Amino acid sequence: MVADAREPPSVSVLQAIAVAGLVTAGGSFALGMANEDVSGIQVLLLEWISIPYVAAGLVAWWRRPDSRLGALMIAGGFATAVSALAFASYSLPHTVGLVFDILPAVIFLHVYLAFPEGRLRSQFERILVAIAYVAAISLQILKMALDGVGPHNLVKLSERPGAAHTVETVQLLSISAICLAGIGVLATRRRQAGRPLRRPVALLINSFALGLLMIAVLFVSGTLDVSQFLVIQRATLLVIGISPIAFLVGLLDARLARSAVGDLFVELRADPSPVGLRDALARALRDPSLTLAYWLPEFETWADIDGRPVQLPGSQSGRATTLIERDGAHVAALLHDPGLEDEPELLAAVGAAAGIALENGRLQAEQKANLEELKGSRARVIEAGQKERQRLERNLHDGAQQRLVALSLELSMLKRHLADDAQASQQLERARGEITASLEELRAVARGLHPAVLSGHGLEVALQSIAAHSPAPVQLSVTLEGRLPEQIEVAAYYVVSESLANIAKHAQAGTVRVEVSRAAELVVVEVVDDGVGGADTELGSGLRGLADRVEAHGGRLRVWSPPGGGTRVRAEMPCE
Amino acid sequence: MRVAIAEDSVLLREGLARLLGEAGFDVVGQCGTGDDLLLKVRSYTPDVVIVDIRLPPTHSDEGLRAALEIREKYPSVGVLVLSQYVELGLALKLLADSAEGVGYLLKDRISDVDDFLAAVRRVADGGSALDPLIVSALISRQRADDPLARLTAREREVLELMATGSSNQGIADKLVITLRAVEKYVSSIFGKLGLPSSGSESRRVLAVLLFLQS
Repeated sequence: MVADAREPPSVSVLQAIAVAGLVTAGGSFALGMANEDVSGIQVLLLEWISIPYVAAGLVAWWRRPDSRLGALMIAGGFATAVSALAFASYSLPHTVGLVFDILPAVIFLHVYLAFPEGRLRSQFERILVAIAYVAAISLQILKMALDGVGPHNLVKLSERPGAAHTVETVQLLSISAICLAGIGVLATRRRQAGRPLRRPVALLINSFALGLLMIAVLFVSGTLDVSQFLVIQRATLLVIGISPIAFLVGLLDARLARSAVGDLFVELRADPSPVGLRDALARALRDPSLTLAYWLPEFETWADIDGRPVQLPGSQSGRATTLIERDGAHVAALLHDPGLEDEPELLAAVGAAAGIALENGRLQAEQKANLEELKGSRARVIEAGQKERQRLERNLHDGAQQRLVALSLELSMLKRHLADDAQASQQLERARGEITASLEELRAVARGLHPAVLSGHGLEVALQSIAAHSPAPVQLSVTLEGRLPEQIEVAAYYVVSESLANIAKHAQAGTVRVEVSRAAELVVVEVVDDGVGGADTELGSGLRGLADRVEAHGGRLRVWSPPGGGTRVRAEMPCE
Repeated sequence: MRVAIAEDSVLLREGLARLLGEAGFDVVGQCGTGDDLLLKVRSYTPDVVIVDIRLPPTHSDEGLRAALEIREKYPSVGVLVLSQYVELGLALKLLADSAEGVGYLLKDRISDVDDFLAAVRRVADGGSALDPLIVSALISRQRADDPLARLTAREREVLELMATGSSNQGIADKLVITLRAVEKYVSSIFGKLGLPSSGSESRRVLAVLLFLQS
């Protein structure tokens, strides 16, 4: 857990707040019931909001002292209770209650947008909430000063109901608009998160959006003199009360989640393999967005189960990280929804239950990473060898071969000049014959080192030449657009040349079909003959070298050779 | 006869120039790159160029590209390509659709001075010269229902020489037979292989080559 923990509030503070909350709620309840003009349902609905908000706020403050969300929720609960003072028949509490009439709605807006860290995330959100507070408090007082809200109002300065009505319309419509904007903010955040939310969190956010929508509907209908206003008001109060309950249910859910750890234990004991481990953990944590990373000390990096390096998310990424350790060393990291940080016990329990399986996963990731490393170094060795052979071929071509050709020409010309001397001519001719033989040998060596025609002119031209030298007629079909990467060309060339050499030696084939094609990101080389078959498909000797070349490029080589059924060699190499 | 040479090995280039000079050719240009060769061709319009297939700077296909460009832009200039290896694929690329005024020989052939000079003259005159290695590889391959089996030993010899670009007179000289006899063999071969007998000697090179390759 990465948390710069602020100390949770002391129990006595929490108890004091709880008592104050109950007293306030009880007081407002008594006031409401004492007022004959107020229906009992209305009073109960206010308690329905105020008590759960204070309770949920207390739990939130205790569990997440770093977040101001708890304090905000408590404030919302108290503000709701205080607004009930408007039911009082004495002027002072009545006036105070009136001042708090609209404020709770804005505090709830603030809570919704500040979830879960307790702070607003952008300038835009801060401006929205600030305007809403101004509208809820300043315009409320202005409205009261202009006598927009009935008798017993101590702040009445003049009697201008028309102006008061205008102020109220502006107040309600502007807060409605801000609530709708708030729904937009919630929706945008959810889309940007780009990963599934944990179910309790999704439920909670939905309740926020619904609450905002109801507040907007309530305030708009308040300006329109709708006949069903009372129904809308009650529905709104009912909906607003759902959020703190959803919040508490989420926490309860988390307690229940710990029983899922037991299931996890059973599941992992039956099958401690890393396969499906992520899904099992995601189920136990009820976080579908969960991913795992394993620590590879040899590479000093985090990696996924396939050994591919991964970066742990930073503190600003909207993801949280829980490190799992064993004997003081990193084993794995759970990358999860930050909401899970509310449930450190659950994370610890799941981490402990999955210990062995995670260690297995770590070993598998390490093995895969080693394998990848090995593959890479094999490719590098083959490539280095290839480069060296290319260099040697070039040196032979530009050096010894050229000199021998020039020397041979020199001898020929000398022989022409010495045409009268039969013995000298004969000796020169013999020497020239030696040179020709040397040239032939050199040519065979150099071509074996590297087919220069391949780098110069591409696969098709190079294959035409070896096809021409095959004793069995070759149907050659090369369908490629443009050149392939050099190492792939070289590997493909050797697959064909080695196969044709094998066919010439063993197959007694009548015809050979050679096909080179590229489908999407796969180069396929196929050599098929109609010979005697029965070749050693265990990739013995010659074929092993070919398979090495092909596998070094992440490809694979397969051979089919049923006795009497010809031989088919197929190489597939990925090629971007 | 005017000839230009592109060969990056100085030793070989000068040997070639001396050989051609002594044989009565007018060596109008010697250079080491394909670009220089194109300049020389533009300035001197030689009858024939001799070009190494691997030239600087990358020693991959510069020589071949210069040869193809000359064939396209200056069809009257014969092009004889020399190489340390002979590749059928390259020969097909070089000939494309005409064997007129084109040759492709192994470098070793230079020291068979008489044959080499004859090949240079043939290419300069619009004929062709294809390395025997290519032809023999094609002729010796096995074929199902081999039409070549219908040829007599002598006819096979004539076919091989024909495919390398030898003229009828050249074949007659080589096999020490009369020109009349060569003509008889040629028409018999074309008949047996089912090829249309075309007049020009360079055109039949391509026909025979394509037949052998298929």
